[in-house]
Amino acid sequence: MRVGIPRAMLFHHYGEYWRHFLENLGVEAVVSEATTGDMITAGAVHADNETCLPVKVFSGHMLWLKERVDAVLVPRVISEQYGTVACPKFMGLPDLTRSLDPDLPPVLSPSIHLGDRRYLWAREWYSVSRALGGTRLGSASAVAELLYGLEKHRVQAITQPQADGMKIGVAGHLYNVHDHRASLGLLDRVRGMGATPITVDQVLPSRARMHAATLSRKIFWGYESRLAGAVLYWSRTRSVSGILFVTSFACGPGSLVGALLEDQLGREGSVPLMTITLDEHSAEAGLVTRLEAFIDMLKRSKRTAGGQFAPGGAPGGTG
Amino acid sequence: MKIAVPRMGNLSLIIRDLARRFDLETLETPPFSEQNMEIGSALAPEFACLPLKAVLGSFVQVLEMGADTLVTGGGHGPCRFGYYGEIQKRILEREGRRFRMVVLEPPSVSIKAFHDSIRTLLPRQRVSLPALLKELSQTLSKVVVFDKLEKRALALRGLEAEPGAVDAALEEAQAIVARAYTRKEIEEARLEAEARFMQLPIESGRPHLKVGLVGEIFVVLEPFFNFDIDRWLGRRGAVVERSVNIADTVFPMGRNPVFGYTEHAVARAADPYLTHEVGGDGLLTVGASVIFARRGFDAIVHFLPFTCMPEVIAKGVLSRVSSELGIPILSLSIDEQTGRAGVETRLEALLDLAWSNKSKRDFAADYASAGA
Repeated sequence: MRVGIPRAMLFHHYGEYWRHFLENLGVEAVVSEATTGDMITAGAVHADNETCLPVKVFSGHMLWLKERVDAVLVPRVISEQYGTVACPKFMGLPDLTRSLDPDLPPVLSPSIHLGDRRYLWAREWYSVSRALGGTRLGSASAVAELLYGLEKHRVQAITQPQADGMKIGVAGHLYNVHDHRASLGLLDRVRGMGATPITVDQVLPSRARMHAATLSRKIFWGYESRLAGAVLYWSRTRSVSGILFVTSFACGPGSLVGALLEDQLGREGSVPLMTITLDEHSAEAGLVTRLEAFIDMLKRSKRTAGGQFAPGGAPGGTG
Repeated sequence: MKIAVPRMGNLSLIIRDLARRFDLETLETPPFSEQNMEIGSALAPEFACLPLKAVLGSFVQVLEMGADTLVTGGGHGPCRFGYYGEIQKRILEREGRRFRMVVLEPPSVSIKAFHDSIRTLLPRQRVSLPALLKELSQTLSKVVVFDKLEKRALALRGLEAEPGAVDAALEEAQAIVARAYTRKEIEEARLEAEARFMQLPIESGRPHLKVGLVGEIFVVLEPFFNFDIDRWLGRRGAVVERSVNIADTVFPMGRNPVFGYTEHAVARAADPYLTHEVGGDGLLTVGASVIFARRGFDAIVHFLPFTCMPEVIAKGVLSRVSSELGIPILSLSIDEQTGRAGVETRLEALLDLAWSNKSKRDFAADYASAGA
């Protein structure tokens, strides 16, 4: 039995735990390859034309897995944090997958609902593992290990190696930022220009939550709340020289949170912020030019003003 | 305090009723227009969905008319609507406008938040809790009557013997109900209004199409954005039924008195296709489409604002509903640049397809009965 996991969407958050879960049951886990241009094209052709870039990328990975596996694991993520909800796309993803192509292998869709303190959703993982041929004890221990992993992921940040030089905060969904093809190699390009990119998963969730709580209305999407908190933390502590807000075309939460952050940072005076919108037609040249301009501006202002910007007068370039 | 509330279908009738009950000074929001969409899209974030831009545009207009309190709805997601108020407030403040924004939280967030947000408009000193509950429940029963009248008009418009008769009757009926105040008066007004519909000359034998109307509430209810789909379909002799209504949205416990199927029944109908709530009206869209298909409707029209998150999922799922249940479904996504001609051409094609399906079915039925 081979169970596929698409290397897209929330794989970049929870993928390791899912793979570990399947391996604990003695099932061969097949994770799709890193995104390629062909996958994005195939996904964009098959998926609904109005969905966001990550769903199109996800569809491309599904089509890649179609011939290679006996079933696919697409967990339904309902919430990632207590008191928040996930983006509707995560909630409807298994159903969208099933209507993507009639010839797809069966879709296993247990829920992840970390906001539910009673963990009733863990039963769904148990039934999935029983259906995959796990013994009672083996299934229970695989589920327990998964829960432990997810819970640890909820409160921990990934550690970053200490780096000197300019730091750039990259605020974007992990499935955009960590996907080399979809983001057109954004992180590597930033590194190539002599700066160290810091992503949202490197900020402690509790710290992000503290800063997100200062907003005048609570952001109810779990990941966006963490992202906004991280941006406010970077900006208020001046721990980065500039912030790149990376969103994808037709990202629903991104459209509002982007506007909110631009406004909030403009009010309190912040490090410069640039918005980058990705879609399947994004060209490298446009991205490189804008990145170079942004980083050059940061370097120059660092030389002249010692990296400090007057509050309110921050050149918050967007576009 | 001059209060302004965005427009949406029958909402203006309801606001008028509430203003009378609680003695509030309200300002009629101007109807949506090209001009107001231009203002809204210039100020709003580029990828925000249509209702945000439209409502923002009308807020600017109504602030210029002298309103000082803007009222809008809240929520706890995952639909973007719950965050509209905050974004609109920030944008308008940046524009240098002075106003107060009141976000009415729905009871689903928490009863306390719901009550507190009402109390910002109607302080305890002015309206006691029993009076508040009584008046609100009376308004609620009125909302249900308004929407039931509209449901009747949708069903009759395609069969009217003389053009415009149903619209005239609906207007009269709404005026009759709008005058009523107590629960007893509302019930009497309902009977009187329904009697008004009974007298209409109807050609019930005329061959007609049955069309289901599903989608996101704002674009389905606002004639400016759906190109007056109710009357457009009515003129072409279609009997229409709609899945979303204001009354169903505000009625407690998911009873959906106007649509007639409880939330539970809708979720069960949607089951093989969409198995979880996705926010907004997404689940209702899929469930209602399945219900309409099972009831033998000829076509379904699905309206959504461009990039609406719940409805985009519904749209993806509806393609499977359409092929498995054999019913033509047309998804129309609306944004500020959607043109009337494009929408009408596609709707005409949908009706043609539905007619040809229907005549094929009728022919097969005739043939079978003649052969037997």
